[in-house]
Amino acid sequence: MESWMVSNLVVAVLLVGGAWIAVAVSRHDIWRAAVQQVWKRRPGAVLVVCVYVLLALLDSVAWRGNVDTGSDVVAQHEAVTLLERLFGDAQEKSYSAPLADIEFYDHSPLKHPGSHLFGTDILGGDVFLMTLKGARVALLIGGLTSLIAIPLALLFGIPAGYFGKRIDDVVFFIMSTLASIPTLLLLISITVALGRSTLVVCFALAVTSWVGFCRIARGETMKLREMDYVHAARLMGASETTIILRHILPNLMHLVVITFVLMFSGLVLSEAVLAWLGIGVNGSWGLMIAKAKDELSRDPAVWWNVGGAGVGLFGLLLAVNFLGDAVRDALDPRTRKES
Amino acid sequence: MARLAESLTTGSGSGSDLSRRCQAMAWRSLLGLVAFACFGCSNSPYPEEDSDTKILYRSFEEAPKNLDPAYAYTTSATAILGRVYDTLLEYHYLKRPYQLIGGIAKEVPTAEVLDDGTIRYGFELRGEMLYQDDPCFAAYGGGATRQVLAGDLVFAFQRLADPLVNSPVFQSFANLKGFAEFAKALAERRKRDPAFRKLPPREQYRAVGGISGVVSEGPHHFELVLARPYPQILEWLAMHFSAPVPWEAVQHYDGKEGRDHFKDHPVGSGPYYLSEYAKESRYVLEKNLNWYGVKHPEWKAAGAVYPTSGAPGDEAHGLLPAEYVGKPLPFIERIVTVRDKESIPAFGKFLQGYYDSSGIVKESFDQLVRGDALSEEMSARGMKLEKSAKSDIFYLGFNMDDPVVGSAKGARSRALRQAMSLMVDVLEYTRVFTNGRGIPAQSPLPPGIFGYDAEYKNPFRTVDLKRAQALMVEAGYPGGIDPKTNKPLRLSFDTSDTSPDGGARFKFFVKAWRQLGISVEVSATDYNRFQKKMREGAFQIFQWGWVADYPDPENFMFLLWSKMSRKKSGGPNTANFSNAKYDELFLKMATRENDDRRMEIMKEMRTLLEHERPWIELYHRESYVLRHGWLKNVKAPGLSLPVSKYWDLDAAERGRRRTEWNRPIYWPAFLLLFMGLAIIAPGIRTFYQERQ
Amino acid sequence: MLAYVLRKLAYGGLTVLGVLLLIFVIFFAMARPDDVARRALGEKAQGAQIEKWKAKHGYDKPLWPTLAKPGGSLLQAHYVSLLSFEFGNSDLNDSPIGTTIRDGMGASLALTIPMFLSGLVLGLVLALFVAFFRETYIDTMGVFLCVLGMSVSILIYIIGSQFVFAKMLRWFPISGFDTDVIADGNWNLLLRFLALPVTVGVLSSFGGDTRFYRTVFVEEVNRDYVRTARAKGAGEMRVMLRHVLRNAMIPILTRVVVAIPFLFTGSLLLEAFFGIPGLGSITVDAIAGNDFSVLRVMVYIFALLFILAQIATDISYTLVDPRVRLE
Repeated sequence: MESWMVSNLVVAVLLVGGAWIAVAVSRHDIWRAAVQQVWKRRPGAVLVVCVYVLLALLDSVAWRGNVDTGSDVVAQHEAVTLLERLFGDAQEKSYSAPLADIEFYDHSPLKHPGSHLFGTDILGGDVFLMTLKGARVALLIGGLTSLIAIPLALLFGIPAGYFGKRIDDVVFFIMSTLASIPTLLLLISITVALGRSTLVVCFALAVTSWVGFCRIARGETMKLREMDYVHAARLMGASETTIILRHILPNLMHLVVITFVLMFSGLVLSEAVLAWLGIGVNGSWGLMIAKAKDELSRDPAVWWNVGGAGVGLFGLLLAVNFLGDAVRDALDPRTRKES
Repeated sequence: MARLAESLTTGSGSGSDLSRRCQAMAWRSLLGLVAFACFGCSNSPYPEEDSDTKILYRSFEEAPKNLDPAYAYTTSATAILGRVYDTLLEYHYLKRPYQLIGGIAKEVPTAEVLDDGTIRYGFELRGEMLYQDDPCFAAYGGGATRQVLAGDLVFAFQRLADPLVNSPVFQSFANLKGFAEFAKALAERRKRDPAFRKLPPREQYRAVGGISGVVSEGPHHFELVLARPYPQILEWLAMHFSAPVPWEAVQHYDGKEGRDHFKDHPVGSGPYYLSEYAKESRYVLEKNLNWYGVKHPEWKAAGAVYPTSGAPGDEAHGLLPAEYVGKPLPFIERIVTVRDKESIPAFGKFLQGYYDSSGIVKESFDQLVRGDALSEEMSARGMKLEKSAKSDIFYLGFNMDDPVVGSAKGARSRALRQAMSLMVDVLEYTRVFTNGRGIPAQSPLPPGIFGYDAEYKNPFRTVDLKRAQALMVEAGYPGGIDPKTNKPLRLSFDTSDTSPDGGARFKFFVKAWRQLGISVEVSATDYNRFQKKMREGAFQIFQWGWVADYPDPENFMFLLWSKMSRKKSGGPNTANFSNAKYDELFLKMATRENDDRRMEIMKEMRTLLEHERPWIELYHRESYVLRHGWLKNVKAPGLSLPVSKYWDLDAAERGRRRTEWNRPIYWPAFLLLFMGLAIIAPGIRTFYQERQ
Repeated sequence: MLAYVLRKLAYGGLTVLGVLLLIFVIFFAMARPDDVARRALGEKAQGAQIEKWKAKHGYDKPLWPTLAKPGGSLLQAHYVSLLSFEFGNSDLNDSPIGTTIRDGMGASLALTIPMFLSGLVLGLVLALFVAFFRETYIDTMGVFLCVLGMSVSILIYIIGSQFVFAKMLRWFPISGFDTDVIADGNWNLLLRFLALPVTVGVLSSFGGDTRFYRTVFVEEVNRDYVRTARAKGAGEMRVMLRHVLRNAMIPILTRVVVAIPFLFTGSLLLEAFFGIPGLGSITVDAIAGNDFSVLRVMVYIFALLFILAQIATDISYTLVDPRVRLE
């Protein structure tokens, strides 16, 4: 199976999963209320995040054939995503300014005059398209990393909190060991040692970020363990596994959501720094910024590359930050009581 | 401040008036404070007291790792070693084509063919010359310094042969009689005799018996004997590899504190010495008062006075000014070199006058250069532009050992290489990435090297999609489709350049080949992994560059000699090109004088390469060096030779210009302050109103 | 109390051992000593030279200890060299790592101490200010600015500030540093070099800090004792400074103490862009050159400082707040 088919499959799974979660949320009062509260407080942030997710999905659905790829012969044999199809062939030869009709330095006429909202880059690629495609990479980094980090954190955190003693000692030791190595250095060390690829970067990010969440999960489990209903379940003869799966895990879900949202912006920002060090993920905004940083000092300056990536990054992080606050207020029992 | 005092003394009157006045006073004192903070501002990165001295300021990006003259082979190290060590021969500063002159040797020797067929070169040293002052001399019972002796040259040559020194130019000196034998004997003796291994290098060399073709007679006579003709040896003598090295320095610094320090402590007899060396961040070269040019101006030695004649046109360019011709060197007192890792800030500092000369970063090229001349704004600032072709070649190479692109498939893979060569548009490449700087390369030879033919156009180095497509059919990949997989042919492009900038450049080639239906994947790995691939021959396409060591075609043609194959011998023939006909022709031309026959042989080699396409030649660099008007006597060298002993600078003029160009602008500070207050003030007011 | 401190120290020591194991796994299991040697000696190095180099750097030993031969492994050498602070020489340029780090420390501290102090003061003042005006437009704007500041990559700050303050307004040098300046006591020049990187460092971190301090302050402001104090007629300013600030000390202290190790290691990007030859700069060089020997030591030193800071935090808790039990 080829990668574009996998990508399509993932989209299908995500859509089904999303629908299932939506149904699940609408059935539970607490979750429904939380969603409504978030929507009421920050409708803008929710909308912006939705747009990013939509873009990422558009850029993940791909199929072969029936597309104008210009002079690129190979592309006719490759899968082209829905987003790219919407743009069609947008290739120029080199830099052009936003919405310009001519090339930036050469002043020769463009193939597609006036169609590049954010201009074109050094090889004539459309910056607007690249910016939009960056959404997929950012969500991929955030999503994939969380997909590794959160299960890892739960796997270590819940037993540590629930069983205590030896298990707790071991987990706590692993956590404090990992936490004592500075994030950036650990990130770099892992990527340098394992080689550079998207998966390795996500893995490194996961290794550096799961500890914080593990600590929270452990603490919360310790609290839940002493709850009346857990004691009751134990008296009724439920096994430890059942208690963890039926009673502890569901009550950690709000923490998972909060952590996920709060972790997200940090991950995308970390990738930008890695990109500057030459270990970024292909197609990310971080790489666009690192690539284009020198262009700012051209005279006249080429600002639209940094600008495009900056707007993409900034929009997402701003929305996610505000959304994160709103989600925390809506789900965290401490703040919920006060409001 | 005066106004502030005034408002204090006149401060009387009704209550509301007082408070208003206090407010006004607070405002003013705040503004005064900001102004005071700013008057201390300046963007000069140097101490004020240095501004009147003749100091040359330069920057470097990559720190030199090793300063052993026998080992170091990078531009960053040459910038130091070429100034600290004096060589037997030198190049004339102004004349082109390059012409050798005497360095510490009085004259350039002529070859003498001896009875047994060997070739002898004899050198007379100039007479009493001293090393720089260094504690290593006192450590072995000497004074602050000592004389340069012919024996030091012998020692330097022995170090070149020493396998433990691992000199990268060993092969070039192996034509000396007894050179390889000496290396072998040394290695063997070390292997079987542990006591011998503990001896200092000089005694080891002596015990083995030295190199028979490297002889000193008395303090000032030195001889080299070649086993076979190799006229290029003289060019090597103009480089730091064969400069005299005092044995005391090696013995004193190597092994001190358990490690080899000599490579951080160059001790030479050149016009400058290394006075401060903070490896990764900065180094300072100071004028060497022991240098023979300073001690003996009356000798009027060729390498120690400003030349009296030059190439045609030099006079018109002001390179032979009356106040300098025949004057003793060097003119500049000190050279301060500071590390600037990022090129943009470094260039910014050059524009502000804090570096004296600089290359042009591509980002600023369009601002500075119009056509071939400096823009008016920059000329008005007194800046000068030096343009020169570099003796180098940048190329894409195929791994000739590879089953798909290499020679195994014969005519089919040749057609593939030819087709790919026809797709790479160098003019477009230089336009996009180097501001059009660079001469499209037709063969490995750059302009200025014997054998370069400006008329020659390589038929496979133009862009021709139709012909390339036809060749793809011939190669068995019609439309780029690999019949085995029924998909576009997949190739890999290997590189250790993981920078985003490199990524864009490789994508340029990938895009070109995609038009043929070839899908090339760029695999950018770290250096270790890349080198491993190179060694094992597990790569298909790569990009490489070669900068000439000396101006001779042999230095380029040997890059494709099968003996230099990367896979077999670790040599610089990275393409692993191996062609019997080529090797035969190469051996014929390698040691010939520059005559018509040599030209003919090289034409034959050119045709062979044109057809075989182990390389896709890209371009020869053109260097644009900018300098400020206060830096004088600058002629750009095409070879990487440090020539700053001929330069001079006008420190007073520089100081004046720096102040003129760098007056700080203060008003935005006030604007910012005002804006901040404007935003906060109404808030504070409403707050107090609410409270009351 | 003493038992508590000792226990903390022992646990810290154990963590150091764990960190060392992790470093070993990352760096030694991944890189082949032969490749490292070739990288250091150049492509033309021959077998004998590589062996000699490996022996000199101690890379000729087996990686893990075995039952048959428990001593003399690379793992053991790794522990011994790092724990005894005998870092040896760099793989790449053979300079002694210990000296390199000592030299770099000064430049790093010169940059980070002013950055740390001004960042702390500015962050606290801004947070107090915003908390003081909570639920007015200043508060909203403050939070917005903080999020804005957090969302911009530090790269943009660096490039932008070099362009505006050094090139256009010409207030400070674009980049540069001179370690002699500290020794010579040329404060004017030192100030000139540091002004821009310190400003950028403070700018890039004030968003997160201020937002954090503000949350702490606002939480504290809503407590009962503050209301009591206010009811008793204490002025708002007095309430903020005397009660709120003092009671918010614990969370602030945690954040501050944990940040102290970063003082020693400087900031990777700031040092690289402003040409300051500190530890951050050394680290960037080591990354660019794949110099694992230096990177390994940097990770170790950083972890060590971090663990020490953690212990210091725990102990200082007990001093600041008697309610913290010594368990």
